[in-house]
Amino acid sequence: MNIDFGSELETFRAEVCAFLDTAPTPAIREAGRKLTSVFAQFDQVMEWHRILYHQGWSAPHWPKEHGGTGWSVEQKYIFAEEYRKRDLPPLLPQGVGMVGPLLIDIGTEEQKAKYLPGILKGEDFWAQGYSEPNSGSDLASLQCRAVADGDDYIINGSKIWTTYAHHANRMFMLVRTDSSGKKQQGITFLLLDRMDYPGMTVRPIIGLDGFPEQCEVFFEDVRVPQSGRVGAENDGWSVAKHLLKHERGGGAQSPTLKRGLERIREAAQTTPSGFGTMLAEDPVFQRDIGELEADIASFEHFEKLAVSGHPVAADPAYPSINKTMNSELTQRVTVMLTQAVGNEALPLQLEALRVGANVEPLGSDLDLIAMPWYLNSRATTIYAGSNEVQRDLIARTVGREG
Amino acid sequence: MDFTFSDEQQMLRDSVSAFLLKNYDFDRRNAIVRSDAGWSREVWQQFAKLGLLALPFAEDRGGLGGSMADLVAIAEPFGAHLLAEHYTASAMLGGAALALAGDGSPAAGWLDKVITGEAIAALAYEEGPGTPDPSLIQAVVERQGSGFSLSGEKRMVLGGGDADVLVVVARLEGALALFAVEPAVQGITIRPYATIDGRRAANIAFDTVAIPAEALILADAGDALRGVLDRAILALCAESVGAMGALLRQTAEYAATRKQFGVPIATFQAVAHRLADMKIAYTKARATLLYTTALIDTGRATPKDIAILKGQTGKLGRALGEAAIQTHGGVGMTDELSVSHLHKRILANDALLGNAEYHLRKVGVLA
Repeated sequence: MNIDFGSELETFRAEVCAFLDTAPTPAIREAGRKLTSVFAQFDQVMEWHRILYHQGWSAPHWPKEHGGTGWSVEQKYIFAEEYRKRDLPPLLPQGVGMVGPLLIDIGTEEQKAKYLPGILKGEDFWAQGYSEPNSGSDLASLQCRAVADGDDYIINGSKIWTTYAHHANRMFMLVRTDSSGKKQQGITFLLLDRMDYPGMTVRPIIGLDGFPEQCEVFFEDVRVPQSGRVGAENDGWSVAKHLLKHERGGGAQSPTLKRGLERIREAAQTTPSGFGTMLAEDPVFQRDIGELEADIASFEHFEKLAVSGHPVAADPAYPSINKTMNSELTQRVTVMLTQAVGNEALPLQLEALRVGANVEPLGSDLDLIAMPWYLNSRATTIYAGSNEVQRDLIARTVGREG
Repeated sequence: MDFTFSDEQQMLRDSVSAFLLKNYDFDRRNAIVRSDAGWSREVWQQFAKLGLLALPFAEDRGGLGGSMADLVAIAEPFGAHLLAEHYTASAMLGGAALALAGDGSPAAGWLDKVITGEAIAALAYEEGPGTPDPSLIQAVVERQGSGFSLSGEKRMVLGGGDADVLVVVARLEGALALFAVEPAVQGITIRPYATIDGRRAANIAFDTVAIPAEALILADAGDALRGVLDRAILALCAESVGAMGALLRQTAEYAATRKQFGVPIATFQAVAHRLADMKIAYTKARATLLYTTALIDTGRATPKDIAILKGQTGKLGRALGEAAIQTHGGVGMTDELSVSHLHKRILANDALLGNAEYHLRKVGVLA
């Protein structure tokens, strides 16, 4: 066993810290402080993306020849760790995290040349068109149809929970091209160059936190070129599954959770328990925060085992365990956060949450974000495969641990 | 970073597992537990031959200078096989406390015998319903003539009825001190018993027991004792995580083969999700075990790290064990399957040296 990253990595850490301490603009930092979701405020996070691109760090996990950093797993972890310690807004995942790596693996040379630079540079933003009103966890039942017509497809149907589709200029999506066989067969993966094709409409959906983060996208005889297809027609399910591989591993989510813990403890210093002390000295609060901190520590240990190449990362259930732990811990952090700020979480302050707002928040930054973050985080156990689906997957592997 | 066992550690682990598989299956283990002694001197001698009894001690004390990673590598199989012998009691608690004594002292002489397997040592530490922190110790020692006089009561002393030497923790002029005491001395009353998880322990009363000066191992032993307790906590947790792994495997196998309504019960989502939660619990507990092992071996474990380990293992272990019994249904309630025994071992280890409730609150208190 060896718990150290090694001295050359500590030099690397110093380089990362120096950059992260100086490069973000005040607006980018504000977007990080006002983060109440996985998805940061659009304009600032894209600005940050472009700054990272100029540093060569916008896609750490891409291969070097496509603009990646060539960092080791440990270096990527250190980068993520320092990044998250500073409350910086995470880059939007749809481009660099999802469609980019997919194209690198299985896109045509033309597709790579056409799309990768825009993703890397932060010039394009891609919406992800997977879920439909009647196809959530059972994604393969999707019904949005594409019919071949000459060199084009004609799309009819709708997509829902397409995050930030109202900001997107491109979209990747799954469509049904055949209904004759098993539902997994007959799905095709398409790239759309535009979001303003005739017949295409985007309707933002106001979420429970008051923000239009999610959207519904409608297609009415939308004609798109077949050259945007990834993989073969009717082979989109295996393309989509391949993409899932890129949502796995190497993550450093625990520093974000640990920041949350710090902020809960901070708020607990000044919130009365009602039993004669501040929450911070209250035995029940101490027990609750201790339990949460211990669970977050175990998740951190799990992440570090995975980064170090321990066999736990080779377990087929690894991505599902990772997703389940992280999402449920995020929810618990936000629950305690709202409890620790008490009534200060109740004022509706949508305008004050906007980066660059002219409205002074009523209380602290924490009071401002606690409730919207809590409300938004209810989605973490629903999206990217609900935790019920994740537990189904984990259960299939039980008893085969190394 | 690397949290895997080295080749040598893996070989050690494999040889211990192979020994236990061959000589310590569940039936044979139960026969040992039900015997008058409750543990096997034959197994103990085999452990001595395998070098396990010397493993945790420094080379200049006649040990093998093993790391905590070495210990964890063997303690997990001990837990999975429900070891009844006093490994934790004698090597990790009693022996580790003896090892704090200077060369040439009677305690050092006892340590030699503990290492060769000729003697069993026990640490008479816990009092009342439990002693999560050494500051709670009330047993007291007073100077008397050239020696001391010891009074107090120790409870739940693992191996206390079988020990050839007891290391007693007591207050001497306010500070905590350690003494090596032979159990046959006048004024000592030992009440031995079996524990719920198939080990032997004892309550021991000391009524103005006269102790010679040379029996003092260490005065002002607070910090050294804390170190002994931390390493024993790691060993207990490694045993519990080993037991959790065994429960997870057995329960998965049972759920895949037990049929009701014509199908294996693992196909029911309510059962499948419980299995998934068991695996998540095991994954967390094991990650924390391995990480904390590396922290201790590099001298970097803080009191909070130890509390996290003990708290998580106790909490997650209980949840996993209860889920294992529920999944097994009626047979999970019997004495005949190892399921209930593994659960009881986890519960016992949780209760010792401060349970999950204590340690998790401690994590909260230590900002």
